[in-house]
Amino acid sequence: MTQLLSKKSKTSQPVLELKDIVKTYTSGNTTFNALDGVSICIHQGEFVSITGPSGSGKSTLMHIVGLLDNPTDGKVLLEGQDISHLNEEELAKTRNVTLGFVFQQFNLLPKTSSAENVSLPLLYSDVPKSERLPRAIEMLTKVGLSDKLKNTPAQLSGGQQQRVAIARALINNPKIIMADEPTGNLDSKSGKEIIALFHQLHHEGHTIILVTHDMDLAKQAERIIIIKDGKVTSNPC
Amino acid sequence: MLKPSIGDLFQSSIRAVLKNKSRTLLTSLGIIIGVTSVILLTSIGNGLTIYINQQFESLGSNSIFISPGKIFNDKGGFSSGESSRFVTTKFSIADVNNIKRNIRGVTVLPMAATIVEIKSNKITKDNITLAGSTNQLGELLNRLPSAGNGRWFTLEEYNKGSPVLVMGYTIANDLFPGGNPLNRTVIIKGKNYKIIGVVDKKGSSFGGPDQDSQVYTPLDVVFNINGNEDLAQIMIKTSSKDIVESTKSELNKLFLKKYDKDAFTVFDSSQLLSSINSIIGTLTIALTGIAAISLVVGGIGIMNIMLVTVSERTREIGLRKAIGAFPNAILIQFLFEAVILSGIGGFIGIVLGALGTAAINNFFPAQVTLGSVSLAFGVSFAVGIIFGVAPARKASQLSPIEALRYE
Repeated sequence: MTQLLSKKSKTSQPVLELKDIVKTYTSGNTTFNALDGVSICIHQGEFVSITGPSGSGKSTLMHIVGLLDNPTDGKVLLEGQDISHLNEEELAKTRNVTLGFVFQQFNLLPKTSSAENVSLPLLYSDVPKSERLPRAIEMLTKVGLSDKLKNTPAQLSGGQQQRVAIARALINNPKIIMADEPTGNLDSKSGKEIIALFHQLHHEGHTIILVTHDMDLAKQAERIIIIKDGKVTSNPC
Repeated sequence: MLKPSIGDLFQSSIRAVLKNKSRTLLTSLGIIIGVTSVILLTSIGNGLTIYINQQFESLGSNSIFISPGKIFNDKGGFSSGESSRFVTTKFSIADVNNIKRNIRGVTVLPMAATIVEIKSNKITKDNITLAGSTNQLGELLNRLPSAGNGRWFTLEEYNKGSPVLVMGYTIANDLFPGGNPLNRTVIIKGKNYKIIGVVDKKGSSFGGPDQDSQVYTPLDVVFNINGNEDLAQIMIKTSSKDIVESTKSELNKLFLKKYDKDAFTVFDSSQLLSSINSIIGTLTIALTGIAAISLVVGGIGIMNIMLVTVSERTREIGLRKAIGAFPNAILIQFLFEAVILSGIGGFIGIVLGALGTAAINNFFPAQVTLGSVSLAFGVSFAVGIIFGVAPARKASQLSPIEALRYE
């Protein structure tokens, strides 16, 4: 059933498409292409992992896929629209409505309740104030933390903190969830629970991009994009 | 359109500041000290002005004085030149009679003074100002002893130069601690004098010449002690306030016939008052300016802590930017934090300044002015903005990638 859905969506327009992306870093007189003509596409409802050894350009690719950085050359198409030349504020606005981020370090605000942490993206959105808390509670319930609404990060286990972070990533109903080494700071049991949560979200129809250096973890996804020396070596689309 | 709204940003800044209560208090301390001292100093300046104004009001606004020498400079302040330092002019009873002859509708009082040592049976007080004048002085200065405290000296006693004294409350009680000083005898330069009246306490006392320590006596008594008949001052009381100015110009004309223009000064209490007020004003501004330096130091403290805060919260800034915060939203959030820090300092400083003023007012006239409170508040907000801009700009310019990578 899942297989069928994703095959069907592949025929339609990808939600995110990168065309011939080049990212060049200059230090002194030497220039270095961290990404050297990368073309990939992500379809609606897909669970994709991006993996590669360190120094492969994986992080750079993640920053461009996550709309945190502009490419030196090439095109980034979000639902068919070219967004490679947006300015800082337009990129921020696009991230706010399109993406949900899950980080290795959780990046929750300290001394701040789960509910407030989860509702943080709505602070920068058009969602009216009165809707923020109910939506945060809804998202925390979804990740199984309805009893930890008022707990601060210090009062939660690592796995629970990452669940709060996932709830935060979900709250603006993003087109894509970007997870950067989401289990890197967790013990294996909590890690498995987080992966199970990603599978659940995938089944509910969310598009997930998992960035990891861990091949075993990458295999959890439907499709593995492998990057090496700034070039994609498998499954670009 | 900026997201989030200013209100939302302010709220999140307040929360951030309150999460670190002890740091907030310590950071605000510089502003607290600065604002407190500014409020205290302006309150003292203000209280002093009010006090002196009240003292002058009790003298009456229809008094004119003529003193030897040039008292005021051209700018309305007190002159400091040679003219005031070496006063050689001496007024005499002839001048008083001259005024009486030429100007109608005024009361003219000759005033002479000397510094003496007064001995009671047990106590000796030195450096006492003994003021000699007429029987009318008590009434005109509003210094008549109240019922049961004796009387002022009579016209007869004045004419005879009788050895009688009217004393201020403080000096009388200092000479006869615990006893009734009325009708007792004291010794000045080997001669006996009788205390015939004690003037009620005038109240608050600070620094300067103290009315409660003044001793009054008939003019001739002072002439005898001084060994000459020179007058320290001539006081003229007009029948109404309206003719003070015209009387002053008449007096000036009259005295210019006999004296050089720098040899005497005709002035009224308002002139003296405005000179004193301008001195207090200048002094208050100077002292407040010195106190304001601590506001700058406090501002630097805030900037320092805000820079530390921005470094500490690099990950938070990165996260906020990753999830959609505009650079301006970050800028305003951190600017608000700096302003809240200085605002808290300003508020506590004003409260402490007001409490301190109330405490000081028990010993020394002091009164908080609305102007100084609003100035202190305005300045502390301005300090927050000025010293908060640099850290806030730094925060807003962090790249979300750099910020998220930061360990």
